[in-house]
Amino acid sequence: MKETDYKVTLSLIVNGETRNVRVLPQRLLSDVLREDLGLTGTHVGCEHGVCGACTVLVDGAPARSCLTFAVQMEGHEITTVESVARDGELSPLQQALHEEHGLQCGFCTPGIVMTFEAYLKENPTPSTTEIRDVLSGNLCRCTGYQNIVAAILKAAATLREKGVE
Amino acid sequence: MKPAPFSYHRPGSLSEALGLLSDLGADAKPLAGGQSLGPMLNMRLARPAHIVDLNDLLELDYVRRTGDGLEIGGMTRHHRLASAPEVRRTLPLLAEAASTIGHYAIRQRGTLGGSIVHADPAAQLPLVAVVLEAEAVIRSRAGERVAVVADFLQSIMTVDLADGELVTALRFPVPPTGTGWGFELFSRRRGDFAIASAAALIELAPSGAIAALRIAIGGAGAVPVRLDEIEHSAVGEFPDGMWCATVARCIAEAANPEEDPQIPVPFRRELLQTLAERALTAAHSRAAVA
Amino acid sequence: MTREENFTHIGKPLLRKEDRRLLTGHGRFLDDVVLPGALHVCFVRAPHAHARIAAIDTSAAVDMSGVVGVFTGRDLAEWTTKLRLAPPIEGLQPVEMTTLPVDRVRFYGDPVACVVAEDRYAAEDAAEVVSVEYVALDCVTDTDAALADGAPLVDETLPSNLVSQQSFSSGNPAARRADAHAVVEARFNLHRHTHVPLETRGCAADWDAGRAHLTMHIGTQTPHPLRSQLASRLRLAENQVTVISPDVGGGFGQKIALYREELTVAALSRHLERPVHWREDRLENLTAASHARECHCRTRTAVDPEGRILGLELELMEDFGAYCFYPANYMARVVAMILTGPYRISDYAFEVKVALTNKCGNGPMRAPMAVTSWIMDGTIEAIARQLGLDPLDVRRINALTQDDLPYTMATGEVLEDITPLETLEAAASKIDVAAFRKRQAEARKQGRFLGLGFCSVVESTTYGSAFYKAAGIPGSGHEAAWVRIEPSGAVNASVGLMGTGQGYETPLAQAVAEGLGVPPDLVNVQMGHTDIAPYGMGSRGGRGATAGGGTLYLCARKAQERVLTIAACMLNLNEPTNLRLHDGQVERMLDGRWQCTGVALADVAKRAYLEPTSLPEGISPGLDVSLTYDPPPMTYSNATHACEVEVEIATGRVSIDRYVVTEDCGTVLNPVVVRGQQQGAVAMGLSGALFEQVIYDESGQNLTATLADYLVATACELPDFEIFPMNTPNRRTPAGIKGMSEGGVMGSIGSVALAVSDALAPFGVVVEQLPISPQSLRTALRGKRPETGEKERME
Repeated sequence: MKETDYKVTLSLIVNGETRNVRVLPQRLLSDVLREDLGLTGTHVGCEHGVCGACTVLVDGAPARSCLTFAVQMEGHEITTVESVARDGELSPLQQALHEEHGLQCGFCTPGIVMTFEAYLKENPTPSTTEIRDVLSGNLCRCTGYQNIVAAILKAAATLREKGVE
Repeated sequence: MKPAPFSYHRPGSLSEALGLLSDLGADAKPLAGGQSLGPMLNMRLARPAHIVDLNDLLELDYVRRTGDGLEIGGMTRHHRLASAPEVRRTLPLLAEAASTIGHYAIRQRGTLGGSIVHADPAAQLPLVAVVLEAEAVIRSRAGERVAVVADFLQSIMTVDLADGELVTALRFPVPPTGTGWGFELFSRRRGDFAIASAAALIELAPSGAIAALRIAIGGAGAVPVRLDEIEHSAVGEFPDGMWCATVARCIAEAANPEEDPQIPVPFRRELLQTLAERALTAAHSRAAVA
Repeated sequence: MTREENFTHIGKPLLRKEDRRLLTGHGRFLDDVVLPGALHVCFVRAPHAHARIAAIDTSAAVDMSGVVGVFTGRDLAEWTTKLRLAPPIEGLQPVEMTTLPVDRVRFYGDPVACVVAEDRYAAEDAAEVVSVEYVALDCVTDTDAALADGAPLVDETLPSNLVSQQSFSSGNPAARRADAHAVVEARFNLHRHTHVPLETRGCAADWDAGRAHLTMHIGTQTPHPLRSQLASRLRLAENQVTVISPDVGGGFGQKIALYREELTVAALSRHLERPVHWREDRLENLTAASHARECHCRTRTAVDPEGRILGLELELMEDFGAYCFYPANYMARVVAMILTGPYRISDYAFEVKVALTNKCGNGPMRAPMAVTSWIMDGTIEAIARQLGLDPLDVRRINALTQDDLPYTMATGEVLEDITPLETLEAAASKIDVAAFRKRQAEARKQGRFLGLGFCSVVESTTYGSAFYKAAGIPGSGHEAAWVRIEPSGAVNASVGLMGTGQGYETPLAQAVAEGLGVPPDLVNVQMGHTDIAPYGMGSRGGRGATAGGGTLYLCARKAQERVLTIAACMLNLNEPTNLRLHDGQVERMLDGRWQCTGVALADVAKRAYLEPTSLPEGISPGLDVSLTYDPPPMTYSNATHACEVEVEIATGRVSIDRYVVTEDCGTVLNPVVVRGQQQGAVAMGLSGALFEQVIYDESGQNLTATLADYLVATACELPDFEIFPMNTPNRRTPAGIKGMSEGGVMGSIGSVALAVSDALAPFGVVVEQLPISPQSLRTALRGKRPETGEKERME
């Protein structure tokens, strides 16, 4: 009864590319992204769904990759932080986080980026209260959140301007 | 914090899922949104031999008007409960409660059926399902049965569900037009499980007196507690501030919270009183005279 | 050191260099380091607070698929030496610990065995079947129990659980008390915290059997001291060990010590001759990494009728947990030493005790002296309460003024270039106290309870070598740097610090740029690699800017001198006087203004490296400069925090309506980074004061092992912070830098506690125990009704 007997071959769509892996069913999506696919931008902070560092997008909606098994993800599109900047250009959200000093150690940052890349599509005109409500699902130990909130407000404004253009 | 080994099954249809659950029996655990089961698996507090993933059962993700009620599929996500116009219009109490569950990312995954079956005594959806007098539609290979949620919830994380059975939907009777609602919870931080919660529905008679009251409290025991006696005696009363405060005091006195070294019983009782009063006041303010 | 007012690069709000990689997912943290063929470990941890290890049966685990081996304390005892901490400090007991426990566990989470497997999943599967037979022993979980007669000993080699005790007296506080108009007593109990860096601990050890060399990848604040520890505990020479710290996801003091798990991993790599990787999970991090802060304090203050402090006595008892990774007096000592801080108090005595308990060991956590300012300003508030005085007036009458400076504190510490009265008045003015009091009175009439708390902070930031020497603590406070202009003119620099998220790369580049005379983006500061960086003391306290930035600045100035010496030769000048390097160009003062010479840094570098025969006599080839610098015995920053709260009486919920900080941290290298540090520190203090708490039950089980139980404040619980910088340079440090980053914790703990007490004054409730939880406030308020009118302050 060797564990390898239980391994399953998966075909995952990650950042628009099809990637094949052979993994145990209990293997967490976070581990497969990081260790099997080398996408180490997704960070693991608690493995019980509280800290939000491992948040990725599944079919465009934020999800904790530590509460998701890779084996569940066949047929779904996974988006990670590595795909957010296009052609070396930071997204408006990433740029705003930089300009507003919305990150320090940066460990929680990918989860915040992914959460709000999705949220700002759903709500392009968020209030400070709404931003703080959504941000409450991502723990940050360094910043005290103030600059993150400012950055998200700024990013929302930039995105709205871009949308108008 | 890695899950113990399990076999993974991904049925493509409800009948296939029910077949698997029936065949695998007690060794199988259905996986819905995974926002509660996931941590339990990672901490090895749950270690089923088989996981039956329900996420392909798109037929269980729906909000459907059925006569005088709303039927919502078991795989409907909290985010949809909170934002679907049909839910917000007909069951605003449910939408509001769903919007307070965990966090944005959690609500994208967590499901109605999962929450009801998980039966955390502090959770929002069991509480509002009880006060809304929802029924759970339970399917198995043998057929379908319907259970009143209030009876279905038996104790802390214990429900009336046999091996091979699955909650496929909840049926919510839509309260009469004009029914006012209130939902209140208290947690230390945004998104934490509630220490106490209260949900109320008030229907008013043309006189402005109460025609019907429904109120339930969470955090007062192993399951959400519906307060029948208080509901009965409320009929005919005029729910002004004094009345709401008095009733809330009765609720707190009647409540029997469990001992918890971190949450003293008197504290929980006080919270229940405050939350009940606020829920009643909110329900009254939202109620329209028929 | 001279004061320099007009900086070109220091003080500019440059955005951070490290952001791009962190924002795009290209940061490189410990778990991103992949060593081919690495094995993964999982520790088996004790489920008891105190137990004898009767037997460990690893046979079932060893037989499992993917398992390489299971190792216990006995194995590690062969491969490593014990940690012995026995600094010559009076009243401090010497202690020793083995790498893993051999026969006794001392707290819930103590590691008793280590499973090594092909991956973490297999390691966890096997860890479950390691069978450890324990014989449970009585435990002590608080200081009262620990110091009771006949208490079970946490460390059986000690005579009692009282691991450290020091007392001190200056002047005659007892006499002051006897003569005083009044004696005011106050209590301050701070609860157990833990650091919660978003990235937990971890390491990847890579033993090269051929070279007999260990490379240790580990997120650490202190690469060189860690290397010294590793080498010594593995019986290796320091040149057989390289420590490499990648990006670190937060440290806050938790990533300083060499922990037992890390040493175990290193020893296993050497034993197995394979790379070995360990990443702590969050349950381990919360229960078994390091805890902090738990202490019980009491002050007695002799005062005159105006509230002037005539004498102050402090009793402090720290609950240190089960193991000493630091001398047990280390944190409590600083509290006692700087307690009087912003105030003029000459008669002062303290008694500081530290007890061992069956809980996770303590370590320094961002502001190890966090409780200090709450104790001091809480004492001031107690005086005002008892005497019926305005607490701001009591602060003013006792505050140090510019006329008092330099001021030698009762403990011998010298304060200068600080502005406690100025930050207090600025904060009071920003808040508009009169308007607040009016709002507060109106609100009270409506049954709403607002409160305002002030807390002044004098933050010890940079500990120089003279401090360590005087304190009897082994170690040093100096720092080392090198600056190297490469042949192309690119600038590399290095220093012995290691950042854990502060954003060092930018402000330190500014310090180099300032000293050298180049644009900051030309400068790359290399940190965290012990084969590259000079031996420095790393990042602790608030020393980064003064020790690290200061050393780099001085080193860069020295490098500029070398550059100009060569440039003078290139320009056919006899002396480099009237030359400067500016923006990478050599300029000459002519006709009262700086003029371009046409010689660039790159030209000088080319000459220095590639045409050494053309160098002036006595100048050796290359442009490689190093320097060490020992800061003053101590530098201080100061601040005043003001916090407005509302307490919801029905639920006990505290909400923060407004938060103001006026902070004087001297010359600032980069105000963007400094503001981020201030915000983060205040957030950590408020989160700790209101939400976080490590809880053990009576049997020593840790009840807060998940992030659903150990509550770190989210974005919904914290306010925006209004921060007003006030920058008085320190006259003794390079560029006037003072250092900062911990004071925010000190001030926020104090200000929020005092604000809540102010809000609850009508109920006669004073916060003496943190955290300020809704349940604790309800317990205090139950059955109480507010007194009306203006009497409430008079009692």
